[in-house]
Amino acid sequence: MTSAAPVLSAQAIRRAYPLAGRSVEAVRGLSLEVMAGEWVAVVGTSGCGKSTLLNLLGAIDRPTTGRIVIAGRDVSALGDAEATRFRLTGVGFVFQRFYLMPTLTAAENVELPMAEARVPRAQREARARELLAYVGLDGRADHRPFQLSGGEQQRVAIARALANRPALLLADEPTGELDARTGAEMIALFDRLNRDGTTIVTVTHDEELAQAARRVVHMKDGVIVDDVLRRPLDARA
Amino acid sequence: MPPAPRPLLAGLLAGVLLLPSLRPVPLRAQTQAPIRVPVAARRTIAVDERLAAAAGLAIGDTVRLAPTAGSLGDLVRIVAITRRGADPSEVARNEFKVRLHLDHLQAVTGSGDRVGRFAVRSSADASDEPNAAPDRVAAAINQAAFGFRAYPASAVAVETSSTFRVVNRFHRAIGVITIVASAIFLLCITLLKVDERRRDVGALRLIGCSRATVLRAIVLEATLVALIGSLLGAALGWAASAIVNWYYQGLYQTPLRFTLVTPGIVGFAVVLSLGLGVVSGLLAGRRLVRTAPLELVGR
Ligand SMILES: Nc1ncnc2c1ncn2[C@@H]1O[C@H](COP(=O)(O)OP(=O)(O)O)[C@@H](O)[C@H]1O
Ligand SMILES: [Mg+2]
Repeated sequence: MTSAAPVLSAQAIRRAYPLAGRSVEAVRGLSLEVMAGEWVAVVGTSGCGKSTLLNLLGAIDRPTTGRIVIAGRDVSALGDAEATRFRLTGVGFVFQRFYLMPTLTAAENVELPMAEARVPRAQREARARELLAYVGLDGRADHRPFQLSGGEQQRVAIARALANRPALLLADEPTGELDARTGAEMIALFDRLNRDGTTIVTVTHDEELAQAARRVVHMKDGVIVDDVLRRPLDARA
Repeated sequence: MPPAPRPLLAGLLAGVLLLPSLRPVPLRAQTQAPIRVPVAARRTIAVDERLAAAAGLAIGDTVRLAPTAGSLGDLVRIVAITRRGADPSEVARNEFKVRLHLDHLQAVTGSGDRVGRFAVRSSADASDEPNAAPDRVAAAINQAAFGFRAYPASAVAVETSSTFRVVNRFHRAIGVITIVASAIFLLCITLLKVDERRRDVGALRLIGCSRATVLRAIVLEATLVALIGSLLGAALGWAASAIVNWYYQGLYQTPLRFTLVTPGIVGFAVVLSLGLGVVSGLLAGRRLVRTAPLELVGR
């Protein structure tokens, strides 16, 4: 599972927002490589450009300049339809505020990206069950989001992000809406996912979450100022 | 026991007979009891059910029938109570009807040979015998007769219902205005309702659902809502129509149907509402899927 090829390679990416007549750069010439099997935590103060970076990596947003290659695919200049398709199958995204469909059950929420990718029903039902069991929600498959706690909703969101077997899991402040204890459970789940081979990039200002990652990248004013490898890939703890 | 004498306006038809003059002749009827005149000797009349209800009359009753209030008139026996026809021109008039044989009518009013109108019914079936068709018969009569004109019943109906057709056109205009206004209203409601789902649409787009998928879902939902709405509306309209008919048929003692919900109307309503649903869903959905997903979820 741990090949040496980079799953993610970003080169000199910039993202400028037009603001009050002038242009403000949220990401200014940032380069980053992530190997398969890594877990990178991007940390930094609020407003330093973490979310902007993650949106660029997940083909939610496009860099003003620079190149982003994920799993061999250049995603920095995709049109809307291709970017949408890439978000469906190329990456899995976990959001701070979960973004589950309120009218669908947990299982249906997990099945949604698979249905969009035209996975046959029996197959997606089986995979949704499997994923919900993996994140510890076997008994809650038929519950709707409002019947679930924040931590449980985030678990459903993680299962949904993994549905189409993405090359990379991206998470923007996944513990941001959770209390400390639920946050710790979430960190344990990410750790287990990573140990089972999932390549992860999390963006956070949660110190605990950063401490659990193998590698911590510090951002300031749209650039990387520090890159610490805390636990090499071959060092199995 | 005998109710007070009531003035009667007789616009009368003895099956085929109309009043001698175009102006109704006032008659007077009053109940009499006890009755000692030999029953078999009396002439017979028919009264309409509204009169029967108002004066408490029943078949077999004997009443006094006179051309003017206070005059002696005849004692007559009621042998039939007639229903009113479904004729709009009869609905709103507060009048009673008595039917008697023509010779009897002439004797009671003292004015003979004054038939103004009469109806002729052809006993042959027009589909077997082309010459029995009403317009052919009318034409034949007009050729042969002098001093009066014959009209087929349908022409008379058109003539007498011209007021109602004006009213009908007026109703249609109100209907069109209502439909246009509510269409605009529904369009706005759909736009607002779909806009409430910005976040969900944004989330769907973020996790990789295509514009087409999202648009299809919105249009499908709008169409379903429109279909259910139009069926509920048709059911409501049918119930309202039934209540209106029940009330006014009772009020005016007529079998006339005041409102109609026809399959054509229901079909028109369903098609119109489906069209509105699809169009408003498309318009509202297109606006959303063209917006950047990050903007939809709100950062
Ligand atoms: N859509 C936008 N338009 C204008 N400025 C934006 C937009 N999104 C983010 N920014 C700005 O870019 C900077 C980085 O934002 P963000 O990536 O959300 O930071 P972080 O996630 O690290 O808190 C901030 O100064 C923010 O105000
Ligand atoms: Mg952020």
